[in-house]
Amino acid sequence: MDQSVAIQETLAEGEYCTIAVQGVLCKGDSRQSRLLGLVRYRLENGAQEHALFLYTHRRMAITGDDVSLDQIVPLSRDFMLEEVSPDGELYILGSDVTVQLDTAELRLVFQLPFGSHTRMFLQEVARACPGFDPETRDPEFLWLSRHRFAEPDVQSPKPREWNSDPGTRSGFTPIGGGRYQSRNARRGLEDVLLRSSSYILPGGGATEESEFLLARETLGGGTVGGRSARGGLRDEALEEADREMSAGGGSRERDCAGGFNLDSSRPNGRGLLMDQNSGARCQDKPDNFTRQNKSKSEITDMVRSSTITVSDKAHILSMHKFGLRDTIVKSHLVQKEEDYTYIQNFRFFVGTYNVNGQSPKECLRPWLSHSTQAPDVYCVGFQELDLSKEAFFFHDTPKEEEWFKAVSESLHPGAKYAKVKLIRLVGIMLLLYVKQEHAAHISEVEAETVGTGIMGRMGNKGGVAIRFQLHNTSICVVNSHLAAHTEEYERRNQDYKDICSRMQFSQVDSSLPPLTISKHDVILWLGDLNYRIEELDVEKVKMLIEEKAFQTLYAYDQLKIQVAAKTVFEGFTEGELTFQPTYKYDTGSDDWDTSEKCRAPAWCDRVLWKGKNISQLSYQSHMALKTSDHKPVSSVFDIGVRVVNEELYRKTLEEIVRSLDKMENANIPSVSLSKREFCFENVKYMQLQTESFTIHNGQVPCQFEFINKPEEYSYCKQWLTAKPSKGFLLPDSHVEIELELFVNKATATKLNSGEDKIEDILVLHLDRGKDYFLSVTGNYLPSCFGSPIHTLCYMREPILDLPLETVSKLTLMPVQTADDRSQLENPMEIPKELWMMVDYLYRNAIHQEDLFQQPGLRTEFEHIRDCLDTGMIDNLCASNHSVAEALLLFLESLPEPVICYSTYHNCLECSGNYTASKQVISTLPTFHKNVFNYLMAFLQELLKNSAKNHLDENILASIFGSLLLRNPAGRQKLDMVEKKKAQGFIHQFLCSPV
Amino acid sequence: MAKQYDVLFRLLLIGDSGVGKTCLLCRFTDNEFHSSHISTIGVDFKMKTIEVDGIKVRIQIWDTAGQERYQTITKQYYRRAQGIFLVYDISSERSYQHIMKWVSDVDEYAPEGVQKILIGNKADEEQKRQVGREQGQQLAKEYGMDFYETSACTNLNIKESFTRLTELVLQAHRKELDGLRTRAGNELALAELEEEEGKPEGPANSSKTCWC
Ligand SMILES: Nc1nc2c(ncn2[C@@H]2O[C@H](COP(=O)(O)OP(=O)(O)OP(=O)(O)O)[C@@H](O)[C@H]2O)c(=O)[nH]1
Ligand SMILES: [Mg+2]
Repeated sequence: MDQSVAIQETLAEGEYCTIAVQGVLCKGDSRQSRLLGLVRYRLENGAQEHALFLYTHRRMAITGDDVSLDQIVPLSRDFMLEEVSPDGELYILGSDVTVQLDTAELRLVFQLPFGSHTRMFLQEVARACPGFDPETRDPEFLWLSRHRFAEPDVQSPKPREWNSDPGTRSGFTPIGGGRYQSRNARRGLEDVLLRSSSYILPGGGATEESEFLLARETLGGGTVGGRSARGGLRDEALEEADREMSAGGGSRERDCAGGFNLDSSRPNGRGLLMDQNSGARCQDKPDNFTRQNKSKSEITDMVRSSTITVSDKAHILSMHKFGLRDTIVKSHLVQKEEDYTYIQNFRFFVGTYNVNGQSPKECLRPWLSHSTQAPDVYCVGFQELDLSKEAFFFHDTPKEEEWFKAVSESLHPGAKYAKVKLIRLVGIMLLLYVKQEHAAHISEVEAETVGTGIMGRMGNKGGVAIRFQLHNTSICVVNSHLAAHTEEYERRNQDYKDICSRMQFSQVDSSLPPLTISKHDVILWLGDLNYRIEELDVEKVKMLIEEKAFQTLYAYDQLKIQVAAKTVFEGFTEGELTFQPTYKYDTGSDDWDTSEKCRAPAWCDRVLWKGKNISQLSYQSHMALKTSDHKPVSSVFDIGVRVVNEELYRKTLEEIVRSLDKMENANIPSVSLSKREFCFENVKYMQLQTESFTIHNGQVPCQFEFINKPEEYSYCKQWLTAKPSKGFLLPDSHVEIELELFVNKATATKLNSGEDKIEDILVLHLDRGKDYFLSVTGNYLPSCFGSPIHTLCYMREPILDLPLETVSKLTLMPVQTADDRSQLENPMEIPKELWMMVDYLYRNAIHQEDLFQQPGLRTEFEHIRDCLDTGMIDNLCASNHSVAEALLLFLESLPEPVICYSTYHNCLECSGNYTASKQVISTLPTFHKNVFNYLMAFLQELLKNSAKNHLDENILASIFGSLLLRNPAGRQKLDMVEKKKAQGFIHQFLCSPV
Repeated sequence: MAKQYDVLFRLLLIGDSGVGKTCLLCRFTDNEFHSSHISTIGVDFKMKTIEVDGIKVRIQIWDTAGQERYQTITKQYYRRAQGIFLVYDISSERSYQHIMKWVSDVDEYAPEGVQKILIGNKADEEQKRQVGREQGQQLAKEYGMDFYETSACTNLNIKESFTRLTELVLQAHRKELDGLRTRAGNELALAELEEEEGKPEGPANSSKTCWC
C-alpha cells in the first residue's frame, strides 16, 4: 500500500510526498510505529528543499485522517540517515533494517522493513540530502513554519475523543455538548463505539506524544546550539583519531621506560640536561604512555583477530563475535585441561652473560653447547651489551646484531633452531630460540621491558621478558640487571618488585586484563642480579674460593639471605652453587679484579625458576670465556610441558560445545498457549465477540508480541484486536489475552460480499524466540448495515433469508448496473430497511423531543438490527431514540453515501443555489435519488411538528449534512467552510417543498 | 589452540506435516526422539555448533509448520535461510509428490543461491515404504540436489545430512569466507616473526659510560 497518498492529504500546496515507509521508532525499550514521508517543496526560484515528516498513524493508513503529524526533520546539511547494525544483535539476512537519523539536534533510531521499498526510500532520502556544495545556498525551510503554526488546529494531539474515529459518527460533532451527557452513566451504544474507536487507533502512547517539536531529543540533554553541538562531536572524534595515531606511532617495546624519545632529544641536541627533563616528563606520565601502548596493542590485536564484525556488505553471511561464548569455552577448556593433555619433558638451556660492553671476540660454544644433547629451547640473556651513551639515549646499538649472530652461530650443532623473539632494553637483551620442529607449537609470544635505572625508570637497569605458550604451558623468561654495589641489596629487592609489578603483557583477547609474570606456569629468571657476598673481606672470600668451600661462602650470599628473609624472589628456587663466583675478573683472564677498586668476588650472575615439573640438570659457569669481567652462567632444565592429545582435545571441546548449545537452546524463550484455534460463530454487525486464551511462560523471561505478517500492515485483520497485543513475561508467569472481534462499517461491506471472511492467522512472536500461529475462523451474518443502497433495493427478502451467494452477488453489483433496470426485475424504490425505520419513527416519534440528539441503547440497537435483517419488523419494539440512532448508523454505514462521492463537489459548489442543487440531485442514480427525496420528505414532516419535537432546519441540516454528503477523500474532519456548505445544501431542501 | 571464529547460518526444514521435520531437528540437536506427533504450529528454532572444514559454524535451524493452511505464512520465512532441507516421508507417496510444490515455493521465496538438499525420512519404516530410494535419487538429480535417506528414529544419516548442507552453504559463500580466513590466520610463520624484528640502525658510537 502506498502510504504517501495518506501523507499527501495532510500536506499544503507546493509540498509533495515523494515516498513513504512505515517504520518503528526505537527509543530505549519503547517501540512505536511511525510513517516516514519524504516531502519535497519547490521554492519560487525552482530550487527544492526536503524534509522528513514523521506521523503517528492508525493501523492502516489510507487517508490523511489516519495519520497525525508528529515531527518534522528538515534535510539540512547536517542531516544524516545511515544504516547501522543494532547493538548486540546478530545481523541476520532478511531482518529489519535499522537506520539512524542524525542531525545537529537530534538522533532517532528506526527499524524499517526489510526489502526493496525500504532500499528505495533510503536512496531517495540520500538523493534529497543537500550535500556540501558551497555554491548552493543553505536550505532555509521557511515553508515548514506553516506546519508549526497550524499545528494545534490541524492536528489533534488532545486525548482522542470517541467521535474522532471515522468508523463512528463524527457527523454529530457540531451538535456538541447537548448530546450524550449521560454517556458514562449507562452502558449505551456509544460505549461500544468508544471501544471500537480504539481498535482502529492503536497504541495510546503514540498520540500522547504527537505534539510537534522540531528538535525534541537533543544530544546529551539540554538545548545545545546545533552547530556547536556538532562541532563538539567532531572535535572528540578528531581527538580520538589523534590518540590512535600517536599510539600507533609509538614503539611498543621501546617505550618510555627505555629512555627518551627521539623528538625530544635530537633536534636541539642539548644533551643530558635536556634529556633529564624529558626523562622527568616521562616519569610524570607513565600511565599515559602505557595507555597509548595498550591502545596500540589493541589495534594490532584487532587486525589480527579473526572475528570480524560484519558490515552490511556481507549480506549473505552473518558473522558475529561471540566473545562471551568463546570466553566460556576457553575457561571450560582450562578447567578440563588434564582430560586432554599429558606431560612431556622439554630440555631448556638458560644462560646469562654480562659482557661489559664488549663485542663478541670468541666462540660461545663452550657456554651454549656444552652438553651432548641439543636443548629444545634456548633462553639466552645478556647485560651491559653496550655501555655507550648512544645505546642509552637512542636505543640503537650494533652490538645487538653482533651478539645475536654470535649466539646463533654457537647454538647446539645437533639441531636446527628458529629464533622466536629478541627483546632488548639498552644493554639488557634476551633471546629465545626453539628447535624448528617445535615452532608450530609456540604461540602467544609477547615481549616487554621495564626500566628501573636512573630515576627508577631508565633502561640502564631493569628487566626484559618474553612470554609464550609452548603447547599448553605458559612460560615467562625474565632477564634482569639489578642495581649494583654491595650495600644496595634493598635497591635490588625493589628493582625485582618493580619489574614484577610493571611487567605486563597484553593478551590476544584484548578484552582480558594484561598478564603479569606471576601468571605463568613456568617462570625462568636469569640475569646479573648483582647480589654480593657480605661481611667477609676480599681476602677471606678469595681464600674460601680457593678451598672450593662454596657452601660456606654461600651463607654470606646476599641473594640467599634475602630469599631466606622472603624479601625477594618469593617462591623461586635456585640450584646449588657449585661454581666459583662469576665476578669480577680482569678482562681476558681468569684472574680476580686487580683494579684500584679491587672488588670482592661475587655470584652476580644467577638463574632461578618457579613452577611445577621443573628439574635442573646442570648449573655452572664457563671459565673458558674471557671477553668480559663476568663469566657466563648456564643452567639446563627438563621442564614438563602440557601437550595436547588432539583426539581427546576434540572430544573435550565437542562436549563443551554441546553442553553450551544445550544451555543456549534452553535459554530460547518458549511459552505454551492454552488455546490456538478460535472460532467466532455468527458474528453480527457491531456486536462484540470475545475469545480469550492464556500464555504460560517457561523458564526464560520473554517479550511477546503479535507481529505483522509480511506485506501486511497490521498483525491481524481490521475487525480483530488482541488485548494486550504485546507484553513481557517473567519466568513461570502467565497472561490472559483477549481476542476481540468487532465488525463496523469499515469492514462490513467486504464481509457481506465475501471478499473478506472471518478467517485470519495471527503470529505471536517471542523476542529472540519462536513464532506461534493462532488461527481465527468463523462466519459473519450479513446485515443491511454496510450494504449499498441499490443492493438493498434488489433484496426483496430479508438479507438473512437470502443465500450467501445472492448477498455476495448483489453486494458486488455496480451501482450503474443497478440503475439499468432492464437487468433485474422488480427492485424496490428504496431499501425496505430504511422504510421500516423511517416508518417507525413517522408513526411513533414525530413528536419526540430531542429526536436524533439522544443516544440509543446498545441492546436495542442489536434488536433493531436483527429485526431489519430478519424482516421481523412487527416485532420491533425499541425506544424512539434507539431507532433514530439506528437510522443514522445505517446512513453512515452505507459504503456509498446517499449523495454519491462523485457528486460531492458539485453539491458543495451549488450550495445556496436551490435550482442548481435540485439539478444535481436529479443526476444521482435512481435509488440514491429516491432515498434522498424520501429522507427530505420525512425530515420536512418532522419539522412540521417542531413545536413538539423542538427540531429546526439547522439542527437537522447539521446532523444529516455530513451523513448524506461525505468527502470522497474520506476526511471526517471537514474544515468549517466545507461543513457549512454541506449543511447549507441540505438546509435548502428542508425549507422548500420537494 | 586454533583461532576460532564464527559463522552463523540459517537452515530451514520444510515439507508436509508429519514427515518428521521436528524429529529430525530434535535428533540432531538433543539426540532425542519422540514417537508422538505434536504438529508444529508456528516456527521454532534451535542452535547447534558444528565444525566443518576447520571452521566453527553456528547454525540456527528453523523448523516450520508443515500444515497446508499455514503455508502462506511459513513461506515468508524462506527468505531468511541460506540452506533448506526439503523433507518427505518414504512411507508417504503423497509427501513425496508434494516436494515439487515445496521446491517451487522455495524458488519463489528463498534468496537466490540458497542451498537445498532432499531428505527422505523414516528410512527405518522399510515395510511401509511407498517411495523407492531411486525415486528420491531421481528427484534430487532433477533438481540438482544432494539426497539422503534418514531416520530420526534410528539416527541414520542425521549428522551427515546436516553437515552436508552446512558444507554446501559454506562452499556457496566460499569467497566471503576466504576473505575472512586470510585475515584470521594467527599462526604466523616463524619466518615472519623474524621479519618483524627491526634491524639495529642509527650511528654507532663506542664511547663508553659506566652506568653502574
Ligand atoms: N518410524 C519413524 N517415525 C518417525 C521418524 N521421524 C518422525 N517420525 C514420526 O512421525 C511423526 C511426525 O513427526 P514430526 O517430526 O512431528 O513431524 P513434522 O514434520 O514436524 O510435522 P509438522 O510439525 O506437522 O509439520 C511422529 O509421530 C514421529 O514420531 C522416523 O525417522 N522414523
Ligand atoms: Mg513439526
